[in-house]
Amino acid sequence: MLIYDIWFLFIYMFFVGNLIFVSKNKHLLVVLLSLEFIVLSIFFFFLVLLMFIDYDMYMLMVFLVFSVCEGSLGLSILVSMIRSHGNDYFQSFSML
Amino acid sequence: MNNNSNKMFFLFILFFSTLISISSNSWFGCWIGLEINLLSFIPLISNSKNLLSVETSLKYFLTQSLASINFLFMILIKFSLLKNFNMNNIISIMMNSSLLMKMGSAPFHFWFPNIVEGLSWMNNFMLMTWQKISPMILLSYYFNKNFLIFMIITNLIIGSLGGLNQTSLRKLLAFSSINNLGWMIFSIMISENLWLFYFLIYSMMISMMISLFFLMNMYFMNQLFINNMNFFIKLNLLINFLSLGGLPPFMGFMPKWIIINFLLINKFYFLTFIFMMTSLIIIYYYIRIIYSSFMFNYFKMKWVNLLMKNNMSLINLSSFISISSMILSTFIFM
Repeated sequence: MLIYDIWFLFIYMFFVGNLIFVSKNKHLLVVLLSLEFIVLSIFFFFLVLLMFIDYDMYMLMVFLVFSVCEGSLGLSILVSMIRSHGNDYFQSFSML
Repeated sequence: MNNNSNKMFFLFILFFSTLISISSNSWFGCWIGLEINLLSFIPLISNSKNLLSVETSLKYFLTQSLASINFLFMILIKFSLLKNFNMNNIISIMMNSSLLMKMGSAPFHFWFPNIVEGLSWMNNFMLMTWQKISPMILLSYYFNKNFLIFMIITNLIIGSLGGLNQTSLRKLLAFSSINNLGWMIFSIMISENLWLFYFLIYSMMISMMISLFFLMNMYFMNQLFINNMNFFIKLNLLINFLSLGGLPPFMGFMPKWIIINFLLINKFYFLTFIFMMTSLIIIYYYIRIIYSSFMFNYFKMKWVNLLMKNNMSLINLSSFISISSMILSTFIFM
């Protein structure tokens, strides 16, 4: 572990992704994109970590499968919302 | 769209995901179980013909996915630091926070009453009982004692004070669930067996109440007074509410008694005081509901006559269990 500066990149990407997730956006799609950005930062983190364990990347593939499932679930909820409300604006939430 | 075979399939995967999560031997397996839990619970609650359930499933998805992604990141940071197995550090605070957000405990509870308001009673039952199992057990593997004691106090206070101004039965049970989470988190810190005991009795009490509300299709508090209810149904409601609040001759007192016993043995005197006072506030608003239901009779409409001939045995059985199980449980040692 000669280079320690790379950890700052992961933590920075993670925090920026979280910041966009919790910010007030107009569209739901921005929130889902920020979720994918967090997944990307974790993917990068995993890659660097697993490189130090003799390039054993199988766990990375399992992680990728599960995050893709979660992303597609988010998109299907987006589609369901557009079907019922007509758009994906956050301001159209009036029930709860 | 949602027929019974779909529900069976997703329920099976839901049960399986909890088993994956609690029986894995690495943190990554725990994360996989939590993900599958989310993936299989969302189809159970979403129904695209209804505006309310779309919004509910969206809010549920957003909070739970954020919590599990944060959990994974903290697992990776813990793995990369590698040097300490000490439980009282900042990484454990972050991991515990993401698990508390999964459970709906305070201070991450703001999604919980909203979502509970938008779900039907059966989905609420799943959310309040089964979905708490795997975050609780994962919490017991790596917790930070001081942080969790602070969270317990927050849970108790928010659960008791939040329910004071509610008229919807679902939100009332949601705040009661947040309060009971405080008791459960403390019982995890003592031993996992104690948590299992508290959790089983709590889910039994919640199932009795939810089955009563489900059969009578009641979602709001005014429906308790307007209907022309049988006296035995009202009595069952009284017994179940008091049992949930933890009053002595009923079943719900037993786990709280044991937890108070452990609190006093370990000299947590101030925490005992907070547990007691918040229980009092909860019993206050339960009794407020039941008192109105027993004493006041707004309408006596002849055509709204709830005939529950087929279901009376279930109500009698649940009342009997709630009253007698604490005394009968002492007969084990004879």
